[in-house]
Amino acid sequence: MIVVKDLYKTFKLAKKQKKEKGSSCADGKVHAVSGVSFECRPGRVFCLLGPNGAGKTTILRMIATLMKPDSGSIEVAGYDTVESAQKVRAHLGFLTGSTKLYDRLTTKELVKYYADLHGMNNTDFNRRKEELFDLLDMNDFADRRIGKLSSGMKQKVSIVRTIIHDPDVVIFDEPTVGLDVITSRSIIDLIHRCKSENKTVIFSTHIMSEVSSISDDLAILHEGKLLYNDNYQAFKNRMQTGSLEEEFIRILQEDKS
Amino acid sequence: MKTIMTIFRKELKDSLRDRRTIITMIIVPLLMFPVMIGLTSRFIMSYEEKAQVRELKVGLLAGENAVEFVEMLVEQENILVFEDIQLEEGQELITSDSLDAFIVFHEEFDRQISELGQGEIDFYLKETEEREIEIRRIMELFGEYENMLRIDRFETLNLDITIIETLSVSQVNLATPKEKLADMVGGILPYMFILFCFMGSMYPSIDLAAGEKERGTLETLLTSPVNRLQILIGKFGVVVLTGISSAAVSLLGLYLGIRYISSIPAEFIDMVMSILEPGSILILLSLLLPLSVFFAGLLLSISFTSRTYKEAQSKIGPLFPVIIIPAFIGMMPGMNLNASTALIPILNVSLATRTIIAGQADISIMLIVYLSLVVYAGAALFLCSKTFSRESAILQ
Repeated sequence: MIVVKDLYKTFKLAKKQKKEKGSSCADGKVHAVSGVSFECRPGRVFCLLGPNGAGKTTILRMIATLMKPDSGSIEVAGYDTVESAQKVRAHLGFLTGSTKLYDRLTTKELVKYYADLHGMNNTDFNRRKEELFDLLDMNDFADRRIGKLSSGMKQKVSIVRTIIHDPDVVIFDEPTVGLDVITSRSIIDLIHRCKSENKTVIFSTHIMSEVSSISDDLAILHEGKLLYNDNYQAFKNRMQTGSLEEEFIRILQEDKS
Repeated sequence: MKTIMTIFRKELKDSLRDRRTIITMIIVPLLMFPVMIGLTSRFIMSYEEKAQVRELKVGLLAGENAVEFVEMLVEQENILVFEDIQLEEGQELITSDSLDAFIVFHEEFDRQISELGQGEIDFYLKETEEREIEIRRIMELFGEYENMLRIDRFETLNLDITIIETLSVSQVNLATPKEKLADMVGGILPYMFILFCFMGSMYPSIDLAAGEKERGTLETLLTSPVNRLQILIGKFGVVVLTGISSAAVSLLGLYLGIRYISSIPAEFIDMVMSILEPGSILILLSLLLPLSVFFAGLLLSISFTSRTYKEAQSKIGPLFPVIIIPAFIGMMPGMNLNASTALIPILNVSLATRTIIAGQADISIMLIVYLSLVVYAGAALFLCSKTFSRESAILQ
């Protein structure tokens, strides 16, 4: 379960950025997230949809305790992200499209490293590793260095790294960006698997087809503000245009005007 | 502690699989001293040998004078004598490098000598550093000839030759072998140790901070249930270890170089071996440990504020002179370890190492050195932890 309440986050701009932004940013600050609230429930996929720069990554980073909110609160699996950051991290898995791995470690070494950081004992680790390696057909490259793997193999390693400790909450930050169709499919399969295991899943994207195929709940984010927050079925029922993409653009334009 | 060790082991394994770390931490420090010692001694030896056997062309204008000297000169191996060269011609031949030396005896030379006066000789040459040994060969002949004339003169006068020696100074050098060594190499050794300590820390610190940020792995690491201080200490440990290992490997290289390069004089080998005792090595490493922590703090702080590996390299590059200058000042004659210099980081290690090599370490001053190093190391660690806690520094 993730509960986000009245979240705000502001970034100070560097001198160079201030010059580039000019008068549009007179106070020298960017309001990345402004008063955002939502809930993600177990066994459901919560989709955070927004254009580039909408604030999706900032919200997910705050949920993952990488950043602290200026105000507001976030609860993950019953723990506050500021007060109990370490406990929050123990209950979550985080996968982004830009996630890279340690090229000089082997697949097995890398997965073991993250399992150790999560305090897993050897029995649990071996059981979970065997289960996931069999499921994703990874045994052939278990002892190969990451740097020598194909991008598809690397993505499988990233998936195992994210869920080796069997987290209650899984965060996916634009996980399919730049991936080919087959590799993207493995991520979508993982999301379905997490949902079936009653995990809480939050997923950010700007790709409409992904929203329609996996989303249970939907939030639309634009310039740090939530423009829509309800279940996906309700969104579809209320659509004023013929497609999800057109509806998304219509909502953004309405917000601008 | 278990988590810190997990991070430390992983970072160490990762670093040791990086070729750049292996080169700067092990290969360069291990080979530097043997190569330096081997090349220098071989070069000096071959230069001296060549200079001793090179054939010298010597022009002579002596007339009927100095017959013994002329005979002596002609009998020399590797000296080709050209007699009866006229003054202007001889000078021209020297200028055009056709002759190495031109010796002109005064036309009244024999008479000057027989009348108990000074025999005048003009010695023309082009004196350069590379001809020093060749010139010395001729000067030795002059010395021999002068001695011969002096003995003749004293015999003629029926005098004991020792009456001209009014002083008898016996120089007895009581400096210990360690002190002699400190004088000879006391500056260069700490300079090299400090440099290797810095170089050994450099690549791991760039790779483990800016490199990890650039590769996008730091963000993943930060989402594991580990606090940032544990991550920092794990990384810090590896940078400190590589820095100090690099300096220790250079010591091993020095030992191997001295032990197995045959052309080194035995006296020098004994002197170096006298500082390579476990006690001295431990003291040297104990000085390098806080220095290494200081370097690790500085380097990691800079590296964490860089977005890419290259940016970190370009920021750390200008640090080299900052490290080298105090280490270099420590090599200068007249620089001593005292209560003031003991407070200046890097310089204090350089000077303290010299005093340790000389076996003259003063406990109270050494204590100041250690205390100041611990303070600097603590400050660097604090700076680094502050940098690592800044969101803007750790997230791309």
